[in-house]
Formats: sequence, C-alpha cells, structure tokens
Amino acid sequence: MAALCGRLLRCRGWFPPQQIVRHGSKAVTRHRKPMHFLRQKLLAVTQYIPPKPAIPERCIKPRKGEVQEPSGLEKLLRREVEITFRENKMITVFQNNSITSEELRRLRHRLLKHDIRMKFFPNQILRSFLADTKYKNLLPLFIGHNIIIVSKEPKAKELMKTVRSTTQISLLGACIEGVLFSQQGVVKYSRLPGMQIIHGEIVGGLTLMTAQTCQLLQSGPMHLAALLEQYVKQQSGAATGLKETGSVEQKETLGSQGS
Amino acid sequence: MAAGRGRVILKTVKEIIVQFCPFESNVRGAREFLAAVGTEKARLTNSNCRIVADVKHDEMEPVIAVTFNGRGRRFGSNCLRNLDDGERLVMKAANLTTREMLSFFTERCFAKDPQAQEMASKKSH
Repeated sequence: MAALCGRLLRCRGWFPPQQIVRHGSKAVTRHRKPMHFLRQKLLAVTQYIPPKPAIPERCIKPRKGEVQEPSGLEKLLRREVEITFRENKMITVFQNNSITSEELRRLRHRLLKHDIRMKFFPNQILRSFLADTKYKNLLPLFIGHNIIIVSKEPKAKELMKTVRSTTQISLLGACIEGVLFSQQGVVKYSRLPGMQIIHGEIVGGLTLMTAQTCQLLQSGPMHLAALLEQYVKQQSGAATGLKETGSVEQKETLGSQGS
Repeated sequence: MAAGRGRVILKTVKEIIVQFCPFESNVRGAREFLAAVGTEKARLTNSNCRIVADVKHDEMEPVIAVTFNGRGRRFGSNCLRNLDDGERLVMKAANLTTREMLSFFTERCFAKDPQAQEMASKKSH
C-alpha cells in the first residue's frame, strides 16, 4: 500500500478513482454544515417556478387606501369639540396674531368674569368634525393659529368690550344661535338693545296698528254723518231764507195796500 | 443678503394695514404675514408702528398696505436729507406666499434703513 502510494505521488497529475473521505466531517453535525456546491447548483436548477397569469394581479385588484385609525388623543379632542359646539350658543373664531402668554392670561381672566371661555383645538380635528355638521361654512376660517371663544349665552356686547383693548387678536367670524355672522355682523349684533326692550317695541307697534284700525273703520261713517249734517243745515238754512223772503214780501204788499 | 433675514424689523415702518375677508380661500398668505409681523419681537423694534387688521366680508382680494416713515426735507439745517419719503408698498396677497411677501418686505425695510446697511457692510469687511 505504501509502495503504491509512493509510485502514484511520483507521477503527478493522476488522481486515484476512489475519493478518500475518512477524514472528512460527518453527515450529521452540531453546527450548520454549508451545503455542497453541487447540491446548491442542483437545487437552484430544479427550483419550482409557478406559472404566471395572463394579466398580472396588480392590474386587476383596486388599490386600497390605507385607513389609519384615529389615536386616543384625537378621539378625546373630537369628543371635546362635539361637546363645545353642542353646549354653547355663541361660538366666535379669532385669529391669534402671536399674542403673548401674559396678555392671553389677562384676556382669559377678563372673559371668565362674564362666563366666556377660550378654547384651543387643532385645525385638522376641527375640519374633520365640522365638515359633516351644519357648521361647514365656518371651515374656511380655520387656517393658521386661531382661538375659539365660546359662551353658553350670547354675550356679544361684553365680548366686544373686552376684546377691543387687545390688538393681537382679531375677530374673523361667529356662529350665534345657529346663525353665521361676519365681523360687522357681530358688531351690529352687540349694539342691539336687550330682549325686553325689543319685546316692548314690538308690542307697542302692534297695539298702535290695532288702535289705528278702530279709528280707520269709524272714519268713513263719521265723514258721511258730517256731510249729511252739513247738507241738512244748508237745506234748513235755505228753507228759513225762503220763509223770510215770503214774510218780507207780505209785509211790503200789506204796506202798499195800507198806504 | 439682508442682515437678520429671519427677523422682521419695523424701524422704518409707520403703518401696516392687512385687509382680508376670512371666508375666502386665498387668505392664508395674508393671515400668516399678519401673524409674523404681529409677534412681540417685531413689535418691540418699533413701538410707534401701527399694525391694523381690517377684516371685511366684501369678497375682495386680500391686500397688505405698508406705509414707511416719511420726514421729508428739512430746510435750513446741515443734516443729511432723509431718503424715506412716506413711500407705500402695496402687496396683493391673493396669489403670493407668506415667504415671498416677507422677503420682499424685509428687503425694502433693509434698503430704507441706513444703520442696518452700515452694520451689514461692517460685518462683510
């Protein structure tokens, strides 16, 4: 055996027909044995290629837009917005021209005296909420930094007085008792007199009309009566006039006869 | 490049009137310009400058009118003639962005302010 090996090694370039594998690693090892190159090649060649359909699926299937679930904070803010818009009769939108925090604090304090509250909401949530409600005409107001000032009772006069001194916020629009107002509208609304005065004025106006009706109905017959009286007077006047001339003539004839 | 481009300096400005209708859809630029000019820092640069927001509901385009300080010529004195002459800058903000308007405005202010120009030239030297 040794002599044979020696003779083989002497003539280089000839390899024995049997592969010596006694010193190779075992088939089952504890580590992952790298796949033999020939085995790799074989598996690559014999890999399964599924048949492709005539029209690919992505041409037929409609693209689904990803719908993101609103987060907890968004739901909470949305609920707050709903409650605010439901409970308050007066909702005004102001633009915040970079008011300082000190000024803001003072303004909030002055408004709270009249039970008027300031609210801050993100524009996105406001827009998504308002688009489905009756307030959709307020949508174009919500651009940039805004303050929403709300109150349960419509107190436009107090609001305008308080806000007049602050230059850093400007009124954009309002929704008072379901009616949309512009800035001029709110100013005019604040100048209206109170409800009691208006009630008194309406009642006075209506009673005036009814009093006038009575007079109006009576005026026709009264006019007729006056005319008839006048006629009667004229007739009686004419009759007495005739009698007088008749008596005067009689006197004259008597006088002429006597003489 | 104007010195302090990010800041709004109102030293040479007498009055800014921003007129817009909030129910229109093209007022974003005007509103943001108003907010930028109305910041505390900007207002502190000139406490005499009047910033007026004119909110109307007339469906007109938003307009920003800036009046610069105008002193005119002083007769019988040796001081330099003042270049500010009550010039008005009118920007129709319907199709302009805030950035464009602010950059143009600050450019104009810088051009009218000799002090700022001196500072900028010193810095560059």
